[in-house]
Amino acid sequence: MPTYEKILLKNMEMPGYTGLLADYERVGGYQALRKVLGKIAPADVTAMVTKSGLRGRGGAGFPTGVKWGFLPKDYTGPKYLCCNADESEPGTFKDRQLIERDPHQMLEGIAIACYAIGAETAYIYIRGEFSLGARILERALAEARAAGYVGTNVLRTGVNIDIWLHRGAGAYICGEETALLESLEGKRGLPRVKPPFPATHGLYSKPTVVNNVETLANLPYIVNRGPEWFASIGSPPKSTGTRVFCVSGHIKRPGNYEVPMGITFRELIFEHAGGMRSQKPLKAIIPGGASAAFFTPQHLDVKLDFESVAQAGSMLGSGGVTVMEEGTSMVWAALRLMEFFYHESCGKCSPCREGSSWLVQTLRRIINRRGRMEDLETLTDLCKNIAGRTVCAFGDAEIAPVLSTLQYWRDEYEELIRAAEPSGAAELVMPARH
Amino acid sequence: MATTTTETVRLTIDGVPVTVPKGTLVIEAARQMGVMIPHFCYHPKLKPDANCRMCLVEIERMPKLQTSCSTPVAEGMVVHTATTVVNEAHKSVLEFILANHPLDCPVCDQGGRCDLQDFSHEYTPTTSRFLEVKRVFPKEYFSALIETQMNRCVQCLRCVRYCDEVMDVKALAPSGRGTMTEIKHFTTHQLDCEFCGGCVQICPVGAITSRLDLYEFRPWMLKRADTVCTYCGDGCHITIQTKGNDLIEVNSAHGAGRNNGDLCARGFFGYHATTHPDRLQSPLLRRNGELVPATWEEALEFVAETCIALKLKHGPDAFAGLIASRCTNEDLYVFQKFMRLVIGTNRIDGSARYGHINGVRALRRVQGTHRWTVAFEDIVGAEVLLLVGTNITETNPITGLKVKEAVKKYNATLLTIEALVPAIGTISNIANLSAHHFSVHPERFGNVVLGLIKAVVEGGLVAQTLTQRAPAYVEAISQTLRAIPWETLESVTGATSQALMEAARAFVAARRAVVLVGQGVLRTPGGFGVATNLLDLLLLTGKHDRPGCGLAPLAEENNDQGAVEMGALAEFLPGPSDLDDRAARERLAGLWKEELPQRPGATLMQILGDARAGNVKALFVVGENPIGSLPRAAQAKEALERLELLVCQELFLTDTARLAHVVLPACSYAEKDGTFTNTEGHVQAVRHAIDPIGESRPDWEILSALSVLMGYPIEYGDAKEILKEIRNLIPGYGLLGPAPATPRSDEAVVERYLREGYAEDVGARYQLTGAGSFDMAQPATSSAESDRRDAGKVKDGLQLTLVVGQTLFHSGKLSTRAKGLMEVQNAGSLGLNPSDADRIGVTDGDRVRLVNQAGEMTTSVRRLDRVPEGMAVFPEHFDEEARRLLTVSVDPVTQVPYCKSAKVRIERL
Repeated sequence: MPTYEKILLKNMEMPGYTGLLADYERVGGYQALRKVLGKIAPADVTAMVTKSGLRGRGGAGFPTGVKWGFLPKDYTGPKYLCCNADESEPGTFKDRQLIERDPHQMLEGIAIACYAIGAETAYIYIRGEFSLGARILERALAEARAAGYVGTNVLRTGVNIDIWLHRGAGAYICGEETALLESLEGKRGLPRVKPPFPATHGLYSKPTVVNNVETLANLPYIVNRGPEWFASIGSPPKSTGTRVFCVSGHIKRPGNYEVPMGITFRELIFEHAGGMRSQKPLKAIIPGGASAAFFTPQHLDVKLDFESVAQAGSMLGSGGVTVMEEGTSMVWAALRLMEFFYHESCGKCSPCREGSSWLVQTLRRIINRRGRMEDLETLTDLCKNIAGRTVCAFGDAEIAPVLSTLQYWRDEYEELIRAAEPSGAAELVMPARH
Repeated sequence: MATTTTETVRLTIDGVPVTVPKGTLVIEAARQMGVMIPHFCYHPKLKPDANCRMCLVEIERMPKLQTSCSTPVAEGMVVHTATTVVNEAHKSVLEFILANHPLDCPVCDQGGRCDLQDFSHEYTPTTSRFLEVKRVFPKEYFSALIETQMNRCVQCLRCVRYCDEVMDVKALAPSGRGTMTEIKHFTTHQLDCEFCGGCVQICPVGAITSRLDLYEFRPWMLKRADTVCTYCGDGCHITIQTKGNDLIEVNSAHGAGRNNGDLCARGFFGYHATTHPDRLQSPLLRRNGELVPATWEEALEFVAETCIALKLKHGPDAFAGLIASRCTNEDLYVFQKFMRLVIGTNRIDGSARYGHINGVRALRRVQGTHRWTVAFEDIVGAEVLLLVGTNITETNPITGLKVKEAVKKYNATLLTIEALVPAIGTISNIANLSAHHFSVHPERFGNVVLGLIKAVVEGGLVAQTLTQRAPAYVEAISQTLRAIPWETLESVTGATSQALMEAARAFVAARRAVVLVGQGVLRTPGGFGVATNLLDLLLLTGKHDRPGCGLAPLAEENNDQGAVEMGALAEFLPGPSDLDDRAARERLAGLWKEELPQRPGATLMQILGDARAGNVKALFVVGENPIGSLPRAAQAKEALERLELLVCQELFLTDTARLAHVVLPACSYAEKDGTFTNTEGHVQAVRHAIDPIGESRPDWEILSALSVLMGYPIEYGDAKEILKEIRNLIPGYGLLGPAPATPRSDEAVVERYLREGYAEDVGARYQLTGAGSFDMAQPATSSAESDRRDAGKVKDGLQLTLVVGQTLFHSGKLSTRAKGLMEVQNAGSLGLNPSDADRIGVTDGDRVRLVNQAGEMTTSVRRLDRVPEGMAVFPEHFDEEARRLLTVSVDPVTQVPYCKSAKVRIERL
């Protein structure tokens, strides 16, 4: 098994590492912050991050430095940084570990980002269910405040960086950046119409950057070891650095694996995660969280970087790799995911709201042996009608499992429909079409 | 509007080039050229939310279809609204929206005027592919006036957004997620809000409907009449919809009238008053001490004969007349003409005397106009709004909406001088939007105005031009104000000099400043003086002649302004012209072909006094109700009982009508034609919606019939003919246009005022009022402390100022007959600040006794956060008992009876 140098999980995998400030400082923590504060111009920090090629680890993979660069240049009012810790994508659990095991790493990242974009206030929007994570972060924040890494006049440089923790209340949609901002403002967490983008009209209509936990956690290392070093990892030039992949499903060793981007699914699943849990062969992979389209065994040699996965018809997304073995009903798998999306659709846009309820009910009907062949056409049609017609990306995400299972395992659908109980099917007489 | 942008953008929609102002939304640009893009969530009054996804269009060089409701136009944009792709998108979005819709159109009140129905007809096939189970919400009772059918909801959130963005009430919210999102309110009880009906009006489907007419109609069966609401001076356009002679519903289309389609609870739910079963059906004549039904001939002949006899015996000045401002201009005009020509007396007065006259007289005195020099558009476009003594969201809700729009949409700075304090409640409170709020005792609003003027003159903020033009005037005011030290001012207003200075600076800095003055000032002692001082403020800051600036007194009754202009008041001839204005008299005499009576007029309180003294023998009362409006201390009943002839033209048997010798049934506004003049001086057409109830007749027609019997015929074929005569006399009645042309102030009058006019009472006007009496403005902590110290005193009760005033749900003389409004508020209760309530140990519903020298009353308590400590409010429409406690004082200049507050002791029962 090839081994790679870990960046984000390195500290926490050291024996006896507690994640307390003393431990973090012992391994060189907050040196990067000392290095930049007052010594490197904020614009140069942004340039450094742009040069490192760091891309957002939350799902969309937008270049971080470029995102920061969208903030208005000559604006003097308040700006905000929001750390998106609302990790809710099914099959994704990397941020949770980064928060719980090494909170200061991300706090240092937040502080560096604040300095770079000129924000004096940062909010960590943490998923409501992460109560342990929230407690740990509060403790870490108290430590960092006491040590002068957070608060007014950080490290006596005259820079103010205040960080606040805000716990969500259990809505998946609040991981969408504008819904997160709405929720943070105390409103119902619904996505905003864009434009305007958060870079100009974000939190309280002020310029705002929203970054994922893993993205921010990379910053201290980029500062410490240089953007060139970071850009050399992974599969440059577009996908640099490592990713923490969350491998789950029917495999021997589920868990978080930090590897450079660009290794293959085969290597990740069969070498790092120990392969399938039983003798059954691999049947399907969700490559990047529930919003990503399914892969088949043919895709095992696709490289785990943004471009390769996209080219193969799915997305690297949040890095949640779910593996399914032969014998799994793919219709059932699609239904299970669709149930999630139906439950979490915020209800703002008609196509997503009504479409998710329609899709889930049709899938249920097919599973319950009440399907009809026309349903498959309807499912495809509905998915097409949802795509691209909603305010946020949720609409595009919720159709991925249905469309991809229909693409690769249409026979399983047809089999279920053929097995439909005649009495049941007879009841469903379709009125004549016009 | 606030800014008129001249920048334009050229784009192409469906191949047609159009030029629209920059910032226009694509959906609006399309609508302007006649292309209707289907939509649910979009509404011109609301910020785009783009949630229904119905209005998708293709824009060249954009990757995806765009929502036209949230996309502003751009130079060179090429938009396609009807390509195959767009049509497919409309069809598919509609398919989604229809998936969960119950399709219960046959029993839906919206059926026939429903956006969903219309778009379905246009875009979808007749069958559905949806074979699944539709979502079903359990039916929930929402409120007595508003019905919700959440199964029909398309979740466009227009209602929620309207309630927040336009009304600032925030009573509604979506609850639940996804398809199970439903519109709810925030309590477990039934809905408690302003009941403006906005959610009913703005709902594109039948999810929110009115319960007043639930299942009573199909929209296409209704006959419509566009007319004007009579519940306050705002003059809102309403469409009365009727079936046969039944009033079914009232609404107002978006963009209609001065209200732009917005209504308040009274306008939307108050329409049943006119068809109340207690309406008088026939004339009543007093026989053997009892009022019994009579024919019109009997009644009119009795009145005419008695009048002729009394006139021969006592002369014309033994007669007097009172008329309510609920009457049309035509009624008012014929009334004053009848009194002046047929009877021969100027002794007439009307309900503008209760306060509106204070504003009018101040305007005439200082700037020579009797109308506002601003219009509603100027309120919306103002940079600074100063509200003095007006609980505007309750008394004039639609003018209040203009203020809200200015503040919320265009970021105007709001300065308020009001007794109420900012507090979140079930109804909106303008103080919540205020940048500088001064909460003072209701009789001391004038003190804060003095503070502002002091800040202007001592802060070097007086306009240069004025100092040069009228140095003596500026000096006189400065000198009087110098005599009032800041410390004294601070102690009687509770406002710091810094706060006053900041507010004054904000006022001066604005290019467009409108001052709105309401009943809190106009109906309390010194009202005339305060209104004049506010004009001084405009003069001193150099704003009085600037476009978009001016003083705007808010009229309480719907046609107070018309009553002034028709000359139906003691001091005015039609025009209005002063009673002793020789030129005006000659012009009138020429037109009327008759000499006008020479002797002076008499105001309400003088008429009552003369009646009590036995000098007035006969009184005509048209819609007025002095017994029901004035406190017992005014002794109106004693006065009316001495009359030899009391004629009442009324809709209902009021307290006053009960004493009458003859009661003549009059038509309500819904049964007659004519015009009303609203608070901003806009003349609007009133059109009948139903036939007269019973044998009732329009007021002018009754007077006209009487004049014939009395031998001085004043005859008209219809209301239009009267309007024609009015047009010849009074400017501004020529065209009933879409917006009033506001008058400019008369510079000759201003010059006279600045030279000498101010001097006669400048000393008196620039005096603090209410100093030394109970101090409401002291901080809460210290008063709590003193209460604890004087625990014995608290046990005996608490000293409070009782203010009897208008509430949102009742106004005018008819609202208590409206079943919709009575559902919301059908009894009076005393509004108390929670701290005061705690001091006497009462909570909601507990009963208390109010006592003063004049009498006592008992009532129940309602804790209201917006009522300041030291004050108690009681709704005037249920104040029969409260009127016993009130005292009357009369303004020495304008003769306005001030009778809305009293000092009382409150104790728990």
